[in-house]
Amino acid sequence: MVSKAAKPSSQEILKKNVLNADLCTGCGACVNLCPYQVIYHDRTVQLHRCDLDDGKCRAFCPRWEIDLDLLRSSLCDSADLTTEIGAVKGYYLSRAADPKLREIAQHGGTVTALMELALTEGLIDSAVVSAGNQQREQSGFKAKDKTSLRENAGSKFVVSPTVAAFNQIAAENSGNIGVVATPCQALALAKMRLKPLQDDAGHIDKLKIVIGLFCGWTVSQEKFQALLLLNNIDPATITGMDIPAGKTALVIKTGSGEKIISFDHVESCIREACRYCLDSTAEFADVSVGSARFGNEWEEMRGWNQMIVRTARGSQLVDLALHRGILEVRKAPNGILKELKEAAAEKKRTALKNIIRKSGSAKNLLYLESSDPFVNKFLEKIKR
Amino acid sequence: MGNEAIARGALEAGVNVASGYPGTPSSEIIESLAIVAKARNLYVEWSTNEKVALEVAAAASFAGLRSLCAMKQNGVNVASDFLLHLASSGTRGGIVLVTCEDPGALSSVNEGDSRYFARMLEIPLLEPANFQEAKDLTRWAFELSEEIRNIVVLRSVTRMSHASGNVICGKLPVKFRKAHFVYDGSIMDPLRGPVISTPVVAKHTLQQEKLKRATAIFENSPFNTYSGPKKPELLLITSSACFLYSREAIGMLELQKRVGILKLCCTWPLPPKLLKKHLNSAGKIMIVEEVLPFLEENVKTLAAGMAGEIGIKKFYGKMDGTLPSVGELNPDIVAAALAKIVKVKYKTLSTAYTKELRKAAALIPARELTFCPGCPHRASFWSIHNAIALDGREGFVCGDIGCYAMGALFPATGYHTTPTLHSMGSGTGLASGFAKLAAFGFDKPILTVCGDSTFYHAVIPALINAQHNRADITFIVLDNSGTAMTGFQPHPGLTVSAMGEAVPSVDIAGICKAIGANVAISDPFDLEGTCKILNSFLADKGSLNVLIMRQICALSPEKKGKKIFDVQVNEALCLGESCGCNRLCTRIFRCPALTWDRSKKKAVVDEVICAGCGVCYSICPQKAIIRTEAKKK
Repeated sequence: MVSKAAKPSSQEILKKNVLNADLCTGCGACVNLCPYQVIYHDRTVQLHRCDLDDGKCRAFCPRWEIDLDLLRSSLCDSADLTTEIGAVKGYYLSRAADPKLREIAQHGGTVTALMELALTEGLIDSAVVSAGNQQREQSGFKAKDKTSLRENAGSKFVVSPTVAAFNQIAAENSGNIGVVATPCQALALAKMRLKPLQDDAGHIDKLKIVIGLFCGWTVSQEKFQALLLLNNIDPATITGMDIPAGKTALVIKTGSGEKIISFDHVESCIREACRYCLDSTAEFADVSVGSARFGNEWEEMRGWNQMIVRTARGSQLVDLALHRGILEVRKAPNGILKELKEAAAEKKRTALKNIIRKSGSAKNLLYLESSDPFVNKFLEKIKR
Repeated sequence: MGNEAIARGALEAGVNVASGYPGTPSSEIIESLAIVAKARNLYVEWSTNEKVALEVAAAASFAGLRSLCAMKQNGVNVASDFLLHLASSGTRGGIVLVTCEDPGALSSVNEGDSRYFARMLEIPLLEPANFQEAKDLTRWAFELSEEIRNIVVLRSVTRMSHASGNVICGKLPVKFRKAHFVYDGSIMDPLRGPVISTPVVAKHTLQQEKLKRATAIFENSPFNTYSGPKKPELLLITSSACFLYSREAIGMLELQKRVGILKLCCTWPLPPKLLKKHLNSAGKIMIVEEVLPFLEENVKTLAAGMAGEIGIKKFYGKMDGTLPSVGELNPDIVAAALAKIVKVKYKTLSTAYTKELRKAAALIPARELTFCPGCPHRASFWSIHNAIALDGREGFVCGDIGCYAMGALFPATGYHTTPTLHSMGSGTGLASGFAKLAAFGFDKPILTVCGDSTFYHAVIPALINAQHNRADITFIVLDNSGTAMTGFQPHPGLTVSAMGEAVPSVDIAGICKAIGANVAISDPFDLEGTCKILNSFLADKGSLNVLIMRQICALSPEKKGKKIFDVQVNEALCLGESCGCNRLCTRIFRCPALTWDRSKKKAVVDEVICAGCGVCYSICPQKAIIRTEAKKK
């Protein structure tokens, strides 16, 4: 056999720089595009060798060759940009108007309410959300109606290959798609929206709305399952999980009451890749939603979400939701946005430190460009 | 065929019982005898392994019958423990152990030379040098065995067993023996006492006397022949198929008047007087034989002892590098070596021809052995590979002997899963050992494979070992319902014996369950289901898990030529080399029935060789491979 030139294949690049470097977020962007890349128990697995050097797997990966400047200029309004939390077209404290939805929601039910609206208005034909099995192993789920959306509401805390489901559904003939995405997933989808490869343009055009989730980290399913076992918790009995504001513990709600696992233990389950993530607010989504947990006003705010509108598409959906009375908004307490920005900045600084520790040099930021002006601001702060 | 000649020799000798275990190049001996079993009043069986086969044959000998036991070279290793004891207890009715060996390992993973067993275990060794001798020597071996009351080894090689030539047949006996086992005599009475190797020293002495008797017979055996001048410039001593190569080489070089050939059929123990006579006739001696320098060592030992009388000789052979120390010989190799010694010019091929040949050879596409179209093993290894990759802990497979050995011999064929391959049953033993290395920081999941016939042959003790010693392994039986590699000989899992009689089958799953293993059965053509079971087994710690992948061999008589599916490629859907597929079916899966059309850049199904298993339908990411149920013919 004639051996090909030394140019590394896309698969080799991903293996060396993402998978073996512990940077893989398990988002699923490289999965369901070909038979070579698959997800198994939240691990990205390269089943067989592929020798193509310009593969989609590499093109969409949120941990390889990220040009933030290009993404910002292509997807956001430059006037909206902030250094800490990306583009902000609008900022709200919101919750679903439907109290039944609020009951099952993690916080205010904003994400589910917005997706329900997108479905019922025909903006999208299906919504891709994260759904877990009895072992709390997550996968992307195609929700086509209100019921299936509501069944999967709530925070999962476990890595989900949601983008893999998007790839699969986009290849089918099943209309327009909305995705509920963590920051890494939103970044992968944003990379796709730039259409780096001509032959996938048609698939990507089906992506009509991305609702981003605020995210500090996710846990590895296998490690988390072991932790649950150690605490005598049957994953199948879990009804919900939450991190109460100001507490350093994960509260696990089961049919037979609540169990509290200290962060010291949860820490060891965090996916290694999350330590190198700069994004806590899903900066490249159309709308980003998170909890409104703030030290002093936790009890008052726990039923609400913070919502950042980022793009024109996001704006349209949120405006429609407000117009239809599907979302309720309230005035944000003083200083809350500042607090969010500070938390986001802290994550960026920590991640940058971790990246530099891994690469050994501030000039090598692994998947990020060290020349990026926004990243540079935080780099300077670290140096100081 | 040489093997048919051996079978005929046994029939002419009035053989009553024949047993063996299939192995190339030996299998046709038992198969030929099985065909005439009823007509010739024989009992013929395929035994579970070579040791058991020899025990079955020995029982017939003890009862005064004539018996033959056939196996390939490494089978003798399996049988050797019993053979050692049999050689010292002695035998009664004529018994011949036929070993068919594979110099150059054309169908083996070793080129073992079992002639040394004859020397080590002190029993006579015969080697036929042409097809007529294959028959005649076999017949005579029974007489020799009865003469000395011990087992005789007859050694053939691939080019003898599998080549064909003219044989003049002798008469078949009309009288049949009756079995009669007597054991009420003295322990030292070879014909009436108990058959046992003790008292050891006394029986050992008796055994050596038998060997001396054989040596004396060999001195005058008409099977050892000499042709050539009275005082040759060079004496060539040879045996087996090497005699044919040597004779041809002498002819090619026109050395008939200068070089003599001593062809020996009785190669252990060597008859010293005969050797002395011929060694005396020449100053230069060349020994031509395949694999190890067995004959050379023995001739040299004799010559050293006779040096005072015959003088010092110059020897040529394997030990001084005149002939290669490994692999098969052929007339060219012998002629080239011979030409150097007698200083004549010899060129196999002209330089111009060699040059052209090299040019042409460069055009031959590189090909390796692989599984046949429709072979269940390809699908099995596909799932094994995927399960290991998904598991992610760099598990691996300990390989074993059968067609599936190709998974280890050619890494791409086994999808890079199988780094070890040794003797039959050793995969399970190795897996059992690897699984106990966790205490030393070795925590990879261990898998092993074996075929259905191999399972009965030598795997069961290793499997019991794994279970008893808590070796956490995933044990896979690639059950294709027959001893496929050697030609579908029956084995204990089937319901028909070598003679075509109905026999009870021994259930592999039942055996595994009985020793306490978790047992599952899957159809390897169901890739997803099989992979799922394997992954659950790999994740399950602390137990012996058995997966029986059951699907009949594509070449088996009941399946051959019968397609389950008609398979086609929808060219419009086939992505070819593009991102999203990159020729998964022709580059990675590599069924020979899937070919790559270079001009269209599409996969094509070669309808002629496609066996219609439909597995490629399951792997195509585009569903561009279409399968429709085949019309029943």
